[in-house]
Amino acid sequence: MATTACFIIVSRNDIPIYETDAGSATKREDASQMHQFILHAALDIVQDLAWTTSAMYLKAIDRFNDMVVSVYVTAGHTRFMLLHDSRNDDGIKSFFQEVHELYIKILLNPLYLPGSRITSSHFDTKVRALARKYL
Amino acid sequence: MGREVSESCIDSLLTEMVASYCNQFYSNTPELAARRIEAIGYQVGHQLSERYTMDRPRFTDHLEAIKFICKDFWSELFKKQIDNLKTNHRGTFVLQDNKFRWLSRISGDPSVDNGTQDPESKAAQAMSMYLYFPCGIIRGALSNLGIPCAVSADISSLPACEYNWILRPCCFSIKYAF
Repeated sequence: MATTACFIIVSRNDIPIYETDAGSATKREDASQMHQFILHAALDIVQDLAWTTSAMYLKAIDRFNDMVVSVYVTAGHTRFMLLHDSRNDDGIKSFFQEVHELYIKILLNPLYLPGSRITSSHFDTKVRALARKYL
Repeated sequence: MGREVSESCIDSLLTEMVASYCNQFYSNTPELAARRIEAIGYQVGHQLSERYTMDRPRFTDHLEAIKFICKDFWSELFKKQIDNLKTNHRGTFVLQDNKFRWLSRISGDPSVDNGTQDPESKAAQAMSMYLYFPCGIIRGALSNLGIPCAVSADISSLPACEYNWILRPCCFSIKYAF
């Protein structure tokens, strides 16, 4: 079944440090800008919600048409945001947890400046593989 | 992410880091050496705090973050918790560690005596260089958890035990804007 999914990682300073389109559906031309727009607009909601709970996985926080935005916030206030149209809560939570581990490995690299863009193609490949597996 | 390194390796690395920065790179300017060492500690603290908070719920206020530093973070780094936490409720915390692991194998040098400065304060100055790295680690960890702060450390002086640094409690004081 074709799914649309757009995944971005936003640092604590509200700078996107990684984005990818991980869905299996065919993309329309304006779809990628639209996805980015929806995700960035949801940042305000995440900001408010993040202080109300101590959980890391905030489930679906925003909707647009039939697509849902789910967010996972780390202790360092790095936000993993996923725009998707499937309803697989457990799969999405596992996806976020695995990406969190990958993100920590990137962070442990002494040559990586925290808050800068993640340019590792290895990370990109792995995230796409995880998206295919869990979403 | 679970590989281990022997503790003597860590001790040697830390000793050599302080020695290189103080005697080689910034031999004329100990303040710059201290700041570089603290900056290394900042990045390490940033990375470690992200790693050690992975499996636990996030923090809802400053006190929880400080308690995490005193208990879980300190246990991961030094295999023990902070012995005493004091606060003045106006933005200053003092963490006291009675047996700081990284200083436990350092001994004073009784032969140092050039007359201009008493050996006690010279030794204290030398010892303080070793404390910049843990200060940086604490500052990096707290900054990552959302608390920009300034951390300083000192070893309290007890007149009874002059060259026995092992028995001196080490106090880290954290100051942040409230």
